[in-house]
Amino acid sequence: MSSWNSLWKWGGVALLAYVILRGFSTPLQPGFIEASPSRLSPGSQDVALKAVGQPFADVNAEPSAYTLVLRSGTELIQAQLTSVSPHGVQARTEIPSTLPSPALDAFLFTPEAGTLFLGNAFFVEDAAVGSVPASLQVPPPEEIAPSLGFSFPYQPTIIESIRNLLWHVPMWFAMFFVMGIGFVASLAQLRTGDVRWDHRAEAAVRTGLVFGILGLATGSLWARFTWGAWWVSDPQLNGALVTVLLYSGYRVLRAAMGQDERVGRIAAVYNVFAFVMLVILLMVLPRYTESLHPGKDGNPGFNSYDLDNSLRAVFYPAVIGWGALCYWMYTLRLRMNRIEHRLLTR
Amino acid sequence: MNSGFRSTLQTAVAVTRMEWRLEWRQGHQLAAVGLFAVASVYVAFQSSDRQTATGAWTAMLWLVYLFSGFTAVGRLFDRERTATRRYLQWTVHPLGLMLGKLTHAAVTTTALTALVLGTFVLFLGWPEGSESAGHPGWLIGGAWLGGLSMTTTLVFVTAVASQVQTGGGALGAVLGLPLLLPQLILATRLTRGALDGTPVAMLGELPLFLAALSTGTSVIACILFPYIWRA
Repeated sequence: MSSWNSLWKWGGVALLAYVILRGFSTPLQPGFIEASPSRLSPGSQDVALKAVGQPFADVNAEPSAYTLVLRSGTELIQAQLTSVSPHGVQARTEIPSTLPSPALDAFLFTPEAGTLFLGNAFFVEDAAVGSVPASLQVPPPEEIAPSLGFSFPYQPTIIESIRNLLWHVPMWFAMFFVMGIGFVASLAQLRTGDVRWDHRAEAAVRTGLVFGILGLATGSLWARFTWGAWWVSDPQLNGALVTVLLYSGYRVLRAAMGQDERVGRIAAVYNVFAFVMLVILLMVLPRYTESLHPGKDGNPGFNSYDLDNSLRAVFYPAVIGWGALCYWMYTLRLRMNRIEHRLLTR
Repeated sequence: MNSGFRSTLQTAVAVTRMEWRLEWRQGHQLAAVGLFAVASVYVAFQSSDRQTATGAWTAMLWLVYLFSGFTAVGRLFDRERTATRRYLQWTVHPLGLMLGKLTHAAVTTTALTALVLGTFVLFLGWPEGSESAGHPGWLIGGAWLGGLSMTTTLVFVTAVASQVQTGGGALGAVLGLPLLLPQLILATRLTRGALDGTPVAMLGELPLFLAALSTGTSVIACILFPYIWRA
């Protein structure tokens, strides 16, 4: 029994250590972030593309092994690569005077890193609408499966901040988990009137609040990086803030009631109410309204993570690890509550 | 079972009537709410010129409405702190009492909506550049529904806060404000849409959410209130 007690704690800590090490040391797959010049005109043009993430080429890589293709509408235009460096390519391309669409997407086919893509990389001014002349068109090159080893997927605008997935999301999961414990404990408290359930509920809410605040902080950081502001008005964010404020209200209520003997029951009533509101605010309402936040309708960002095995291999341990840490913190607080109660009622 | 339900309803009606009779006799409390609402509207009027943008108009309307709602509902359980509580505990089923209080809050909300919205439009006029609201019916209905979901939530919070021996009123505000955020976000969005004349199809789901929130909080309040009451 006692060996199991220390086993799951050390297991959780080991998982978290793995998650932190792996999460920060795993390289990001390469992806384009910038094209220059952004505006082109018909004729012979020199272009350059910059990438981030792990290098997709050696320092002395042979340009002939790589293929750069520009896409307008559904038609492809060949570009001659002049130099390839670990984080960028330079090329010369012949822009025709007639194009199906003035916006050009760039595709770079590499032997090892797969295909790098930048949507709307260039905009062609002064081009008439029409078909690309057959002499400038190329057939689609053959797709090569990437062989990058263990690496995180590249997502435009998210880029390196994808590692926050291992902090932000599991922290909210941990909060849901421990608030759920608090909810069940409060229900049991109302049924039985036993003060031991109240100790559990109090410990659960206190621990959950820590994780809720951490979830807000990591989310705010992420919002600054991807959306450009520390806080935006969004159903999911509003719900999260209200939830944290609601549970802060639980602490305020308990503090205001002091040593009143009815504190357990009143706090339990409030806690049940707060948990129902949490479910409505974080799980029901955001699903029916438009949201910037991933995982909701109309947002393409989240589903592709689910399919990525390298991210999954760190994300699932992160969920278990943070959950274990949260539960450990809860048990410590619970023991403190019990001791406090024993001392006060002695 | 059936007779139990009927007696609960009879209790609810009796409680509502008692509340109103008491309000009427202690006229100063009703007058206090009205005075607060009108004075706040007048402050809003004085602090803005006649050219108020839609956003500011909505914000001021809901701030006045929110704090008037607090004043009206915040003292709903004050009587139950005294010997009256002992008496009611022995004679009245808590569910009936809660339903009565909720009904009373709904009636108060209706009166408050008429007063606040009426004086607000009287003093401040319509927002900059408009002769009237885009959808007057939606404006009134949205304000009423928003107010209803606000007061039903406040009834429950006040019931919890009234259990605290000292400083229950301030506690009601502390616990209530975060809980009211979702309702206020929905309600202000609805008000702005009604003022701007946003197509009704785009506003359609907001009243549904508000109605769902107020129904939800009322149901939870009814389920949980007996536990507070018997504590």
